[in-house]
Amino acid sequence: MVTSAVARETVFALRRQIAKIEGTLPERLADPGAEAIVLRGNGRVLGTADRAVTGVPSLDEALGGGLPKAALTEIHGRQIRDAASATGFVLALAGLLMGQPSAKQPMPLLWVGTGSMFAEAGFPYMHGISSLFGIAPQSMLFAEAPQPVDALWIAEEAAALKMLAAVILELPGNPRHLDLTATRRLHRRAAEAGRPVFLLRHSAEIESTAAPLRFVVTPAPAGMRRFLGRPLAGSIGPPAFTVDLHKNRLAPPARFILEWNAHERSFEQRTAEFQDGTQDPVALAPLSQRGTDMAATAGARMAFDLFRFTAAGRQS
Amino acid sequence: MNLKRGMGMADARAMQPGIDVVDADTEADLRMLEALADWCDRYTPLVALDGVDGLFLDISGCSHLFGGEEALLSEMLRRFNEQGFDARAAIAGTAGTAWAVARSQGRAIVTDGDEADWLAPLPLAALRLDTEVCAALEAVGLRTVGAVMAVPRAPVTRRFGKALLLRLDQALGRIDEALSPRMPVPELSAERRLAEPVTDVEEVERVILPLAGSLKEALERLGAGALTLHLLLFRVDGGVIRLSLGLSRPTRDPERIGKLFHERLAALGESLDMGYGFDLIRLSALSLGPLVPKQTGLADDGDDNEANLALFIDRVGARFGRGVICKPIPVASHLPERAVALFPTAEAPDLTPQEIVRALQADRPLRLLRRPEPVEVMAEVPEGPPVRFRWRRAHYRITRSEGPERIEPEWWLTSDGKAKDYFCAEDSDGRRYWLYREGLYGNAGAAPRWFLHGVFA
Repeated sequence: MVTSAVARETVFALRRQIAKIEGTLPERLADPGAEAIVLRGNGRVLGTADRAVTGVPSLDEALGGGLPKAALTEIHGRQIRDAASATGFVLALAGLLMGQPSAKQPMPLLWVGTGSMFAEAGFPYMHGISSLFGIAPQSMLFAEAPQPVDALWIAEEAAALKMLAAVILELPGNPRHLDLTATRRLHRRAAEAGRPVFLLRHSAEIESTAAPLRFVVTPAPAGMRRFLGRPLAGSIGPPAFTVDLHKNRLAPPARFILEWNAHERSFEQRTAEFQDGTQDPVALAPLSQRGTDMAATAGARMAFDLFRFTAAGRQS
Repeated sequence: MNLKRGMGMADARAMQPGIDVVDADTEADLRMLEALADWCDRYTPLVALDGVDGLFLDISGCSHLFGGEEALLSEMLRRFNEQGFDARAAIAGTAGTAWAVARSQGRAIVTDGDEADWLAPLPLAALRLDTEVCAALEAVGLRTVGAVMAVPRAPVTRRFGKALLLRLDQALGRIDEALSPRMPVPELSAERRLAEPVTDVEEVERVILPLAGSLKEALERLGAGALTLHLLLFRVDGGVIRLSLGLSRPTRDPERIGKLFHERLAALGESLDMGYGFDLIRLSALSLGPLVPKQTGLADDGDDNEANLALFIDRVGARFGRGVICKPIPVASHLPERAVALFPTAEAPDLTPQEIVRALQADRPLRLLRRPEPVEVMAEVPEGPPVRFRWRRAHYRITRSEGPERIEPEWWLTSDGKAKDYFCAEDSDGRRYWLYREGLYGNAGAAPRWFLHGVFA
């Protein structure tokens, strides 16, 4: 179709206005290349070349078509003891992006952490990861660096490799070297290699990074096992996460309670059915934007101080 | 000073009141000798220790590098002297003759065929014999090596054992004597002598590249690549620094070798003691692997990517140690802490996907603590699931739990160990833990203890 430059300009101006009204930023519409086109079927996002769908329509919508495949994504756990939740969420995302492992030559996932991090939060356990997230043991690599700065070095080198399916960099607190420049380098390398890099952080104060997406993950009570088609009361079933989409250029912050379906390898948004079974104790209030409750956890980086603080608070 | 070996300390003090007494430290002496042997690597890769006070150097084919045997000997003695050692050295066609001549005459070069003439006037001790044999021979009047050479062989063997003639034959070159070199002899090595010692890491790296380049030519002829590389830096003051590098796939690319040693040297940083500089740098390939050049495709760059991953793993290994990047391998064990083994990527066994799937276990936590941490637990009934627990100085209230799953110790391997009852428990915030009770109630002895072993997603 031949359109004059003036007509094109008008269309873009109108699109930009619509985008402003809808709350989506105009950048994505400025250059409608092949990658930026969102595929929909029956109103559901089907994913694009550079994005992977999570299985939850509202989350995919907020992410602009799914999880980016070539970007730095930041995932925060508020405390060290929430490490398992944040870890589970990262692995679920990694599993989604890695997709079905090819039988011939599986591309490995590299997990970079420091020795003290692994000692405190526990070493990733292959059996649990494989059975829950479908990441094959032969496509797992772990790197245990002596210091956070070394872990950052390894992750940066790894981010540029096309042979790695994904890189997870796990660091506690706010290391000095992990600043805007370092994250920008990670993001650029991930974008060039076309591979995702996950920055998994525990008990860290939220600071500005180059990651286009930031999730804050807190635990949520697990779903129930299903027995004869009905949920079995008192059982511990599929893991669930309370996920705050804390930073997102395409949509305002939002909160999702996601349940991981290990059989379908996809997320499901928690339904009302669950609420009937047991009380969901998670407060549904939106996350404080000024970050006051964040600061309380972020001040104490290591678990010990933190636990003393919270323990004292609970006893009183 | 008239002091002798084996003299009592009181006698020595009476003669020399100002004498300083130092305890013998045989281990330190041996370390010293090994350091000297390392240093002697500059002359030949075949250096063997001889007892506690000597070194054998096999200089076959090496002497011309130093301008002949005479020049080699004088240069070596000069350098030893500069380092403060009083060394005696002799060159001979056999190790036995060199040993005897070095210890009796000091500096000498025995030309081939003259061994008997040199040995004949020497005392029997020059043949490296036991003192009893020496004493017995002297008792019958055989005091020199020449005397032993002159007597008929059969009766001598009958009376004094085989060792005597074996040593004699070895010294005369009738029987080969095998020296056992300290270090494995590298398959290939390239070295460069520097007229001016280098004192800068960057300059060392600059020397590595041409060395790796000359190794590359030799490796190409063999159709092989290096799997283990050693970089030897010989310091002017006699110290030798040996850096070894293991590679995950055979390599002969000089750029890559240079890069890996760059990482290695960067990781050493300040701890690399350069002293007054290095005057000899040697790069040797200790083990080789087949490396056949592949035809590159027009479009596919998959192999290139694979090579990049291998290079990345090697670089990390060179910088932080080979075990830093590891691969989990399932182990056939029902004990959770034993069910996974971590291997460095190059050494990981190759399991088929079927074997891996068979070894996988379901319902296991996402993260396992290196060592189970003790927790204080309150349970409603003794054998029942926990109701609340205290871990790392914080309280947790449990709302749901599943279990127990009893895991018995591996009684066919060890007799100790107790049965563990594992519970999966969820606290009021939705965190899920893997707790276990060690031992059972009701048995004699201490009450069972509780531990937290892992966390679920």
